[in-house]
Amino acid sequence: MTGLLMRGADKPKSVRRFTWDVTIYLILAAVLLVGFAINPEFGTAFNFSAILANMGEIMLIAMPMTLLIISGEIDLSVASIVGLSGVVFGYTYYFGGVPIAVAAALGILTGALCGALNGFLVAKLALGSLAVTIATLALFRGFATAILGNESVAEYPEAWTNFGYDTIGTSFIPRTFPLIVTFILLFAVLAHLTSFGRRVYGIGQNVEAARFAAISVTTYKWILFILTGTMSGVAGIVYTLRFSTAQWDNAIGLELAVISVVLLGGVSIFGGIGSIWGVVGAALLFGTLEALFNLQGISPNVFTVVTGVLLISAVVIPVALRRLNQAREFREGAKTRIPVDSSTGSRPKEPSGGS
Amino acid sequence: MSGPTVPAPTTTTAGRARKLINGRIASLFLILALAIGITAAVNPRFLGGSGLTDLLIGSAVIGILAVGLTPVVIARHIDLSIASTTGLSAYVTLSIVVPNGWGLWQSFAIGAGIGLLVGTVNGLLVAGLNIPSLVVTLGTLSIVRGILYFYSDAGRFTPDVIPPSLIAMGLDTILDIPIIFWITLGFALFAAWWMRYTPVGRDLYAIGSNPPAAQLVGINIFQRTLLAFMWSGLMAGIAGVLYIGQFAFVDASAFINQELAVVTAVVVGGVNIFGGSGTIIGALLGALLIRVIAGGLVAVGVDPFWQQAVNGVLLITAIGLDRILALRSQAKIQRIREDRVEEQSWRE
Repeated sequence: MTGLLMRGADKPKSVRRFTWDVTIYLILAAVLLVGFAINPEFGTAFNFSAILANMGEIMLIAMPMTLLIISGEIDLSVASIVGLSGVVFGYTYYFGGVPIAVAAALGILTGALCGALNGFLVAKLALGSLAVTIATLALFRGFATAILGNESVAEYPEAWTNFGYDTIGTSFIPRTFPLIVTFILLFAVLAHLTSFGRRVYGIGQNVEAARFAAISVTTYKWILFILTGTMSGVAGIVYTLRFSTAQWDNAIGLELAVISVVLLGGVSIFGGIGSIWGVVGAALLFGTLEALFNLQGISPNVFTVVTGVLLISAVVIPVALRRLNQAREFREGAKTRIPVDSSTGSRPKEPSGGS
Repeated sequence: MSGPTVPAPTTTTAGRARKLINGRIASLFLILALAIGITAAVNPRFLGGSGLTDLLIGSAVIGILAVGLTPVVIARHIDLSIASTTGLSAYVTLSIVVPNGWGLWQSFAIGAGIGLLVGTVNGLLVAGLNIPSLVVTLGTLSIVRGILYFYSDAGRFTPDVIPPSLIAMGLDTILDIPIIFWITLGFALFAAWWMRYTPVGRDLYAIGSNPPAAQLVGINIFQRTLLAFMWSGLMAGIAGVLYIGQFAFVDASAFINQELAVVTAVVVGGVNIFGGSGTIIGALLGALLIRVIAGGLVAVGVDPFWQQAVNGVLLITAIGLDRILALRSQAKIQRIREDRVEEQSWRE
């Protein structure tokens, strides 16, 4: 695991990133310990089964989102894609009369097409991913509403819904778990062990330099958007089966949870920095906290507040740490040599400069 | 673009830029008139009776939020927390006003205070710590809504307990224009003056056009950005009070998920989502336009379920149009600059 992590860009940064990843897992361990200590129901197989199942969709979407944010873009339309692909899946199966496997494939294809549209608008037409995906957030959700209206499709073959919420044999592991682990491993390899992944980091660190290095930034961003759309499509099918309901407002607001998890996992909102392992740890932390809140009988509304606080602090903490580090380096530098860069510390810009 | 720091010779550039913006407003009026005209032609009931009044009542809340959001977007930021703030302001205001038997003015004071508070927190996080406004306001979106859910404890306010003065505000008209729309219009005119003729407004345009350049010419970016977010929070607070008047029913889900409708109104109204250009009046027209289209679709018999998809298409079209216009005006400015350099070298 550390081997993968240490394949970072320059040394000091990868060391700092290493500590951030470990910190996430340490906090996770602490939350687990507290859970075991204060609530007897926390340590049950049922609870862990629920945590793993609840984090499924978030995990599936967070994987490509990690790469997308590392490349310096963002996709706010993912939750709408989850809703739309679920609706397409349910509609074509129930009203269209196609075999359920085909319906699922159509749902995932819908996700891929949504991602392709985002990619076209952002990468090809250079329209700023934030604005575009706010627009497609409304557009895709609108399609879902237009297709199903207020109806919902809730009848699926038992074998399929069992996949959504049953566990493997008598164990506590959800049946969706192997699928999710497979995707995590695939994305970890893609991000950390392939030239594709390295180039994505390169684009995020310095897009101009990436262009000079003959990386086709447009193609890469387009691929990343299609990946994000496709995985949101997969998540849409999983979500529909897990609740055995396809309706227009499935997973509304899920984008917030996904982005919180990615940023909490140490991915820089400015691009260029982050790791799959950090994000996996953050997702587990998020799910465990949510379960603990539930068990303690704390209202889910409090968890909404916690999500927001986590999202903001996930960005504030790295910025604050960087400022502290810069101030310290500046002070130490002042003792031994003449300070050269007087602007340091006054305005920490994006880390792409490689301080 | 045409900030006070621009030296005299560029007045022609500024003039051309202004012409371009005015063209945008004129075309917005045209589209608005066209949309109303077509809908009224297909379905005369659209404008008949209280149709126009309803239209203005329906656009008052989104309109005032658009007026609030515009300076933030012009400064190259975004505020997604406004819809949550509107809901919080509406609920908390009633929860204080109703037991005390207070009326209109106290409501506005409380609503404004709540809005200013949220706006200040947003502004301090964005401007003070240099965190992207998208992240901050996505966070405060859920924090504010969560606090509202927690505070309301599944409670709600029905018309029988809401102060009559607030309900009257949502029903009465002066000169055939609803009172709540007059309020929106008043704030819009103030903001239009503020953005156009005061240093704060001009600085916000400068910050949005080119942040590093704005820093170099000595603009206090921290203070100006903070002010923009405080303004947007203040308008969201006032919008909460208008919301009470419009709907006369408030619970914890008041105005939930409406932030994107406001962003759509602002961008459709010609405010560049990448900052630096746009006008308050344009944003207000944008709010009216999406309201007309929403009502128009229903009036001509389109399934209301298509509404959101239409909003998405509108937004993408507006962003694309902005991009094309920006590229064109950039090319124009470039050409003018080259001409001037030639002229100068000829004089020398």
